[in-house]
Amino acid sequence: MLSFFARRLLFAATLVVVVAAGALLIVRLAPGDATAELYGESGGAAAIALERERAGLDRPLGEYFLSWAGRLARLDFGESFRFNRPVAPLVVERASNTAILASVALVLATLAGLALGVVSGSSRGWPSRLVSGVSILALSCPPLVLSLALALLAARTGWFPVGGMWVTPALSSPDAFARALWHLVLPVVALAVPVGASIERIESRAVRGAMGEPAVLAALARGIPRRRVVWRHATRLSATPVASVWGFAAAGLFSGSFAVEVVTAWPGLGRLMYDALISRDVNLVAGCAAGGAVIVAATTLVSDLALAWADPRLRSGGVRSATAHTPGSGLRQHMPAGSVLRQHTPDATPAASQPGQPRGDPRSEGQGGR
Amino acid sequence: MIPPRHTRYASAWLLVSALVVGAGLVVLWRGTSSRPAVTHPRRLTAMVRSEPRGFNRLVSRDRTSVTLTHLLHGRLVRVNLETQDVEPALAESWTVSDDGRTWRLALRQDVRWSDGTPFTADDVRFTFEAVFDPRVKSPLAGALRFDGKPLGVAVEDDGRVVRIDFPVPYGPGLRVLDSVPILPRHKLGDALARGTLASAWPVTTAPADIVGLGPFVLKEYRPGDRVVLGRNPYFWKRDPAGRALPYLDELVILVVPDQNAEMLRLESGEADLMVAEVRPDDLAAVRDMAERERVRLVDLGVGLDPDFLWFNLAPSFARREPARAWIQLPAVRRALNTGVDRQALVSGVYFGAGVPVYGPVTPANRAWYDPDAVPPVAHDVEAARRLLEEAGFTDADGDGRYEAPGGGPARFALLTQKGNTLRERAAEILQDEAAKIGLGVDVVALEQPALIERITTGQFEAVYFGFQQSDTDPAVSLDFWLPSGAFHAWHASQNTPATPWEAEIDRLMLEMVAAPSAGERQRLFSDVQRIVAREVPALWFVAPRVYVATSPWVIGARPSVLQPMILWNAEGLDVRRD
Repeated sequence: MLSFFARRLLFAATLVVVVAAGALLIVRLAPGDATAELYGESGGAAAIALERERAGLDRPLGEYFLSWAGRLARLDFGESFRFNRPVAPLVVERASNTAILASVALVLATLAGLALGVVSGSSRGWPSRLVSGVSILALSCPPLVLSLALALLAARTGWFPVGGMWVTPALSSPDAFARALWHLVLPVVALAVPVGASIERIESRAVRGAMGEPAVLAALARGIPRRRVVWRHATRLSATPVASVWGFAAAGLFSGSFAVEVVTAWPGLGRLMYDALISRDVNLVAGCAAGGAVIVAATTLVSDLALAWADPRLRSGGVRSATAHTPGSGLRQHMPAGSVLRQHTPDATPAASQPGQPRGDPRSEGQGGR
Repeated sequence: MIPPRHTRYASAWLLVSALVVGAGLVVLWRGTSSRPAVTHPRRLTAMVRSEPRGFNRLVSRDRTSVTLTHLLHGRLVRVNLETQDVEPALAESWTVSDDGRTWRLALRQDVRWSDGTPFTADDVRFTFEAVFDPRVKSPLAGALRFDGKPLGVAVEDDGRVVRIDFPVPYGPGLRVLDSVPILPRHKLGDALARGTLASAWPVTTAPADIVGLGPFVLKEYRPGDRVVLGRNPYFWKRDPAGRALPYLDELVILVVPDQNAEMLRLESGEADLMVAEVRPDDLAAVRDMAERERVRLVDLGVGLDPDFLWFNLAPSFARREPARAWIQLPAVRRALNTGVDRQALVSGVYFGAGVPVYGPVTPANRAWYDPDAVPPVAHDVEAARRLLEEAGFTDADGDGRYEAPGGGPARFALLTQKGNTLRERAAEILQDEAAKIGLGVDVVALEQPALIERITTGQFEAVYFGFQQSDTDPAVSLDFWLPSGAFHAWHASQNTPATPWEAEIDRLMLEMVAAPSAGERQRLFSDVQRIVAREVPALWFVAPRVYVATSPWVIGARPSVLQPMILWNAEGLDVRRD
């Protein structure tokens, strides 16, 4: 386990450095720089020269890069031109704001997406069609449009605020806490709806597939109530694809949504990255890219752990199997062959629960639960 | 009795669902009931597009920092943005020497900083020391140097008078002091001595440490979200009835980066005023809101800064691109000047909220606008085509599109700013209008930094863009007017004027800057405008009408077309009580 985390940390550190350096070089090589906004202003010519000197933009690219890399070795990402502040605390501050939104949105999207996915995947009547239709509608609605539509609704009805963040003093009083939650409604809904719809679609297909699994059919044949088989066994069997996608969804949410954060005036990482790119704030772009890389590395790790939890075959192969897994790149090549065989061989009727069996495998319940 | 497992799972789901729904209802109920009252007495909420870079105006020159400077800091004198005249502030009166170079300003007595410390002439001296300190590298210093020499500042009459010495005659006089906030020596003196003043007062500074002479004090700054200002109890100014200003107890400035969200907040009552003007695209919606009495829409008249089109007139361009040298022919500019239907731009770009203009100075600039110097140009497509044909343009194949005098199609690339919908739309309409007189235009929209890079390095054929003025006096915009200026758009940073008419502009502008009398300065600048109208170095087509929107309960606003539009006079703002 220790070597697993060590490898993960090394991977994350490499990812952060490569992504940050790449972002810095790309922005520095692009035409124009952060002083463009001063062009044409009264006294702007002298100001531009001073600002370029202050920000080091008058130095050659190689010299600038080496200086930046030297600071990075001390975990110093330099100073933001636009915000006139050190980049690292700025990125952490905005990433924290984004994390508040992302956490709530992810929990809501996961709960709603899973529940609705199970409903639509396990039935064929109008509930399934209704849920599928709503999900497809939600998926086809870009976050920017959804944010604006919700903001328009908020402005016209006054039911909840159009934007703004009241999180900072949330714990100062019950009223402040309620107000903080109230301000979360619009951005959280705008973020959670498309993610929840994605999870619902994947879960629905996975449950539908799981319902045809021999183990589930066997459980139904043994007379276990359908609802129990669906919610306990089929849901567990369908968890793997959702866990794979969940990592990407979490990475996307925690990296910040520019559209939602701009429309709802939420000072998060997505808006910061957008501001940095628009203003060619070289150090800040590199810092935001590094922050995004850390988030991707962390959420991938959590996703892998969730996969391992959902599918014990990975655990039985050791954490190494989970580590080697790349979502969507073929899970089974890393699985012990025997466990796959046991799972998918209809006539396999083990006498007792084995280490490689999924927790929700109805065969174990079939043996001892009735 | 233990319930069956499936019942427990179902119960768990039900419980979670109930919690989620319940929390949502509680949140909605609590939120609705605890929503901040939009008509809170003595409290207004304004919106800005970006966060401040800091609270130190000596180094922060972004728009939000400048706006906050108006609110937190005092100046010796200020330009009244409504009348465009200089009016007393910390200096209650002044005299000027006969040569116009020495000004004596009598300081207001018994003024206190927002922490209660008495304000003295030593603070004025400290401020100018800080501005000119080479370690600070203040961008303000450039505007306060004349002929390379800094403005002289001395204290006289036992600290009651500050003497300002201009190294050379300077017509605008005290206007130049409008941009200089007076800073407290007792708070920043140590930082200047240590050489750390440039990094003083970042946005992370504790609010109590930021001390000023303005109408408001900083109460709270939530990065990315809002700046909360409170009333400065020591502010010196009183209204005509003798009441202490400002009227407001609190001024909240929200950071709302998106203009759509800004409009929604105004409509919902979460915000009371915008610091920027209403976009033409939003005008219909705001008019609708105004009819429903959700907002008040104020027409400020014509704007000061029309966008304009210019060609690359640098001789180096003609040497580098001899086949494209025809774009420098005066006939091309004159043909466009008469061939473009300005009304099409008024309708298509500004949806009617604009007026045709024919030069860089618009009617909004009351002191300097001279319609006699820059007469209107009639829209005449045939006249435009004749001008081109006389200059050697031909239409050999009869397709209505000209070939340039040196051969090849008469097409040019027009750069403009990507993401600025007004400029993008205007460039497209100019493309259509140019086609009517036989010229081809390829519109290229670039992000602002890339566009500025192309302009400053001379890598362009033509550009449609605009500059923002900080003052109505053209002497403040010498970088634009003088051929040696960095923003002399069509041919920047000339060592010596490249053409006789530019040499004449150079001479007239330098005379205008030095002339002590307002009448003489206006006469000289009218001559400059005449040369511009004759030579057409660039093309000005339309100036937008400027509108601002406030909530109906804002009173005391005296908005101006210059930034910060409404907040320049924030001490006079109040909330209607009925």
